[in-house]
Amino acid sequence: MSLFVRRQIPIAIVAITSIVVMADYFLKIPQTGPVVKDLQNWGVILSAYALGFGAVNLFIVHTRHISKRASGQWPFSIWLLFILAVFAVVGVFIGPSSAQYMWIYNASYFALSATIYSSTGFYIASGCYRALRARNAQAVILLIVGSLALIRNAPAMAAGFPIFVDIDAWLNSVPTTSAQRGIMIGAALGAIALGVRTMIGRETAFLGRRTEAER
Amino acid sequence: MNLKMSTLWRRLEDIPREVLYALFLIAFIIPMLNPFGLPIPISADVRKWFQTIDALPPGSAIMIDMGYSAGGEPELGPYAAAVGHHIFKKGKLKSIYMATSIDGVQLFDLLMGEVKPEQYGAKYGVDYVHIGYIAGTETAMAAVGKDIRATTSTDYKRNPLDQMSVMEGIKDATSFKLLICYTTGGDQSEGWVRQWVTPYKTPYLSSVLALMIPTMLPYYKAGQIVSLVSGATAGQYELLNKLPARGIKSADVVSVTHLLIFAFVVLGNIAYYARKASEGAKKGG
Repeated sequence: MSLFVRRQIPIAIVAITSIVVMADYFLKIPQTGPVVKDLQNWGVILSAYALGFGAVNLFIVHTRHISKRASGQWPFSIWLLFILAVFAVVGVFIGPSSAQYMWIYNASYFALSATIYSSTGFYIASGCYRALRARNAQAVILLIVGSLALIRNAPAMAAGFPIFVDIDAWLNSVPTTSAQRGIMIGAALGAIALGVRTMIGRETAFLGRRTEAER
Repeated sequence: MNLKMSTLWRRLEDIPREVLYALFLIAFIIPMLNPFGLPIPISADVRKWFQTIDALPPGSAIMIDMGYSAGGEPELGPYAAAVGHHIFKKGKLKSIYMATSIDGVQLFDLLMGEVKPEQYGAKYGVDYVHIGYIAGTETAMAAVGKDIRATTSTDYKRNPLDQMSVMEGIKDATSFKLLICYTTGGDQSEGWVRQWVTPYKTPYLSSVLALMIPTMLPYYKAGQIVSLVSGATAGQYELLNKLPARGIKSADVVSVTHLLIFAFVVLGNIAYYARKASEGAKKGG
């Protein structure tokens, strides 16, 4: 396959698609509406396909681990494939809203996910106790702001001492929003630069790994 | 004496994590089993959220994104339930649920099991529907905003949307008077601003994890979000609803555990300076 077909055509497709989608978003050109609608629905289908592809890839990778008896890994791979098969079979043949599927979901995935996420509360509590210590000037600032956030977020304290709510509101409105705006604007400028470079063919990571000839 | 004091302060400065975890566990369990009924102030944002729904005219359609994962359910689930109670209790509103999170369908079933819309006379397909998980996050939001039926023609149980009375008159983002998103992901909470609020000017209520609030503040301060709250404020919404549930119970837990953490922070700092002072006195003496 020639370099033109492998490189220039995909870049042209990306550039044209980006221009059409942006024109529809910013300029509201009636002619682009139906085209963009189709493109977006293709995007939804491709995203759904990627999920299925991910499951197949997971199956292949873990089947390899099992066949090679990868040290410290293969028993977990068997368990993973077993769970994958159980969820897939029950979901496809009985339905993802069936009582059976919901029971498996609630008894395993839901309970485990909630437990893992909730357990971070203990780490954060221990982290606060150790990190919020006035060792130097910066640590004093962290201690003051952290303590204010702790007190303000305790509903009983916020009710008893509304001054903490006002201080927290100022912290959120002024320093936090200002800093966050700076981060967001910086990230947005980076994204715009990346988009323009991709459209003009200067950014080709989406084409995959390049061969020596292409370099 | 100084050596003994120095050792004591050092111990208080570095309490083993196992001891801290045990104390926090007790602080979780006691108010959970026996709520103290500590005061819960209602914030301006929760009140604004409540008033926004209250002010919707009869027949208004609300798009509700179940964008949270199972891990975030203990924080966001009680808030979603409190809002669900309010919407169904008010009645004559159309709730169109969708999921941008892969867990959104199962969590919707759990949510409806908790809210029980039928107790308010609401019926699936007539007053509310779930159009399912739509992959692609922002692409999904944009596609649904342009034309719902072109993106999905069925609900999450594969029933045709055209056969449901709740979908009458619902075509695209302009058909909705309100957008609500409960999410554990920045892609979802920010994506709705870009794909619905900016192009269609849909009023937007966002409930996110408490730790996500700072990242959403610029949108809120710019007026792109009508009300921005963390899921942990569910107790406040339940008070407005006059329907106490999981949120009020967890508010006591939040108060007790936050105050316990604060007490340990104070103790750690006192121990740090006391140890330094006693070591200084030892060197000096």
